[in-house]
Amino acid sequence: MSAKKILAIINADIHTIAHREPIKGSILVENGKIAAIGQIEIPEEADTIDAAGASVYPGFIDPHTHLGVSEEGMGWEGHDYNEMTDPVTSQLRALDAINPLDDGYREAAEAGITTVMSTPGSANILGGSTVVLKTGNGGLQQRVIRENAGIKAAFGENPKRVYSSQKRMPSTRMGSAALLREALVNAQNYMNKINRAGDDAEKMPPRDLKNEALIPVLKKEIPLRMHAHRADDIATAIRIAQEFDINLTLEHASEAHLIVDRVKESGFPAIVGPSMGTPGKIETQNKTLESVKILSEAGITVALTTDHPVLNVYQLLHAAAAVVRDTGMDEYQVLRLITINAAKILGVEDRVGSIEVGKDADLVIIQGHPFDYLSTVMYTIIDGEVVYPPEK
Amino acid sequence: MRAIVNGKVYTMAGQIIEGGTILIEAGKIKAVGANLPVPAEAEIIDAAGKLVMPGMIDAHTHIGIFEQGIGFEGADGNEMTNPATPQLRAIDAINPQDQAFKGAVAGGITCLTVAPGSANVIGGQAVAIKTWGKIVDNMVVRDPVGLKIAFGENPKRVYSSQKKTPSTRMAVASILRENLVAARSYMEKMERAGKDADKLPDRDLKMETLVRVLKKEFPLRAHAHRADDITTAIRIAEEFDVDICIEHCTEGHLIAGFLGEKKVAAMVGPTLGTRPKIELINTSFTTPGILFKAGVKVALVSDHPVFPVQQLPIQAALAHKAGLPEEETLKAITINPAEIMGIDHRVGSIEAGKDADIIILSGHPFDWQTRVEKTLIDGEIVYER
Repeated sequence: MSAKKILAIINADIHTIAHREPIKGSILVENGKIAAIGQIEIPEEADTIDAAGASVYPGFIDPHTHLGVSEEGMGWEGHDYNEMTDPVTSQLRALDAINPLDDGYREAAEAGITTVMSTPGSANILGGSTVVLKTGNGGLQQRVIRENAGIKAAFGENPKRVYSSQKRMPSTRMGSAALLREALVNAQNYMNKINRAGDDAEKMPPRDLKNEALIPVLKKEIPLRMHAHRADDIATAIRIAQEFDINLTLEHASEAHLIVDRVKESGFPAIVGPSMGTPGKIETQNKTLESVKILSEAGITVALTTDHPVLNVYQLLHAAAAVVRDTGMDEYQVLRLITINAAKILGVEDRVGSIEVGKDADLVIIQGHPFDYLSTVMYTIIDGEVVYPPEK
Repeated sequence: MRAIVNGKVYTMAGQIIEGGTILIEAGKIKAVGANLPVPAEAEIIDAAGKLVMPGMIDAHTHIGIFEQGIGFEGADGNEMTNPATPQLRAIDAINPQDQAFKGAVAGGITCLTVAPGSANVIGGQAVAIKTWGKIVDNMVVRDPVGLKIAFGENPKRVYSSQKKTPSTRMAVASILRENLVAARSYMEKMERAGKDADKLPDRDLKMETLVRVLKKEFPLRAHAHRADDITTAIRIAEEFDVDICIEHCTEGHLIAGFLGEKKVAAMVGPTLGTRPKIELINTSFTTPGILFKAGVKVALVSDHPVFPVQQLPIQAALAHKAGLPEEETLKAITINPAEIMGIDHRVGSIEAGKDADIIILSGHPFDWQTRVEKTLIDGEIVYER
């Protein structure tokens, strides 16, 4: 047995996010987990980081990116997130296309972003399963914290643009909705056959990976992660989710503020963004940072996203800053959007999103305010290991 | 007459005036200074506690020609049917109703270059305009402000997919040379013909445009990311003795000494954003600082819609953080682009006689909490919080 690995961050202003007010003191990290916080004894054998004059935050979280599947510094060679040959590809897994060495993960860690979801794109009605993983530069296996975090789905302009150009369905919003319903019905039929077959191998349907991938959705073990910008697309998604009694997360949700009551009543969370980018198409014309405030005030669980590579993932902090500056939303509440709220929407709040005993030691030590463009991230720590700055 | 009083005035002409006064008359700056008498009839704008600076200038955008919030219907920046189209003029495609102009004035950007895109080796004529108005002709500061040309991946991707030339960097260079040679012949024919109408060549709008480049009436504005593309652009400009500026200049930091010797200006950006192609792999916020130290005149650009023009101060702040001194960074979004665009007699600093393009900010432009409170163009308040 090797000795316990202990790291102590001392003299810090600790923004736990679990509480509004920062705590002064130390954080003790044992074997990658947070062991103690506050005015605590530091064991002699601990490695220490003196954070005097700096602040510590939980690692920030972007719950909707294409990191690793849309790689930096490449063209089509690194573009592996849209399989535009079939509009229903629930069997695809982002995990199989992620390059853990994509430089974007390094840049994310450098900016203090320690957890992301990497997801298939929005060309297909059903794009495939998404992965929640840590950033930095280690191997994929040790970084993945939720291997199947949902099935990516998409409504609106993207699927109809891609497939109408191929003279195929869907070329309308009606077609998009019909394909989603059909896929869910197929999966229900498949699940029913399996249930009826029980132990009778003769009656068991042949294994079907497309349908199999949707069973956890039907069982509400994972949500459909629904790309939807326009209010009507959001409403259609909610309609279908309620018909099939499944869970949704609303991704982008650019016009959710126009139907805030309907979204609130559905109980589904919204991942808003990339609000800082140029509106590139009709369905994003009405996007506004105000919607973050409107949805939050309505009691909807909201997170922010850069949709990397649409915006570079490090702009998550710029987006959060802009929400505070331009809408006057409470700063602590905005910090929650990029930490604990994102963790909840990804279903990983037991591991990340706040500084609490027992959680993963994903910590950012920052000289200055995290929203200040000129602030310096001194250290980014993931699972108790310093990932930024890199070892010399 | 208007008077902006009590502000901390960054003139960008070498002075920071605490409690400064700016007098504005007929759209022009009449005077600026510390203890100026304010005429009784002047309408006062009290800028106490505020920072006052010249409107920011973005020397490389596609505002109005790649309209935001629209798809194909508003995309008028790339005529991808012929790789050499010097006769095209950005002004003919600018829609002043593009929502991006609203973002620009709200973000304190008062003057822009609007250039054709980079699909063509020779894309067409770029124009310098103000960011406020309904009729583009009334917004013009300088037309043309340059001839857009492009090297690297974009033209070769567009035309190789059409099975046409250029499909290599060699052909990109060749098409530019051929056109400049043809223009030189056209110019010589014109000169030889003199007033002899029989000997004059037929009027040719493509050649006419290039002749003006050969006469150095305006520069080539060369889209070039990679160091080799930048080098090729400069090689050709020297062969034909024409003026050139480097747009994007993404790998400029790798050949900073060379660029310093050549005294070419660099329009660096967009540095915010990702690197979705190979030629962007070395994108770095350190580029502007390294180029400045090598003696290169630097402007920072958004390439809107690549990223929104109103985020120019964020890009500037990050360039400053990565090594560009503060004053130089502010110059890179005000007087430097004005000088590179040849419009510094009108914009880019707060000096008597210049256009009253002035912004009033709640704080320093690099502070994340700072908001633009007022934007004035030609002395008129075009945005107010």
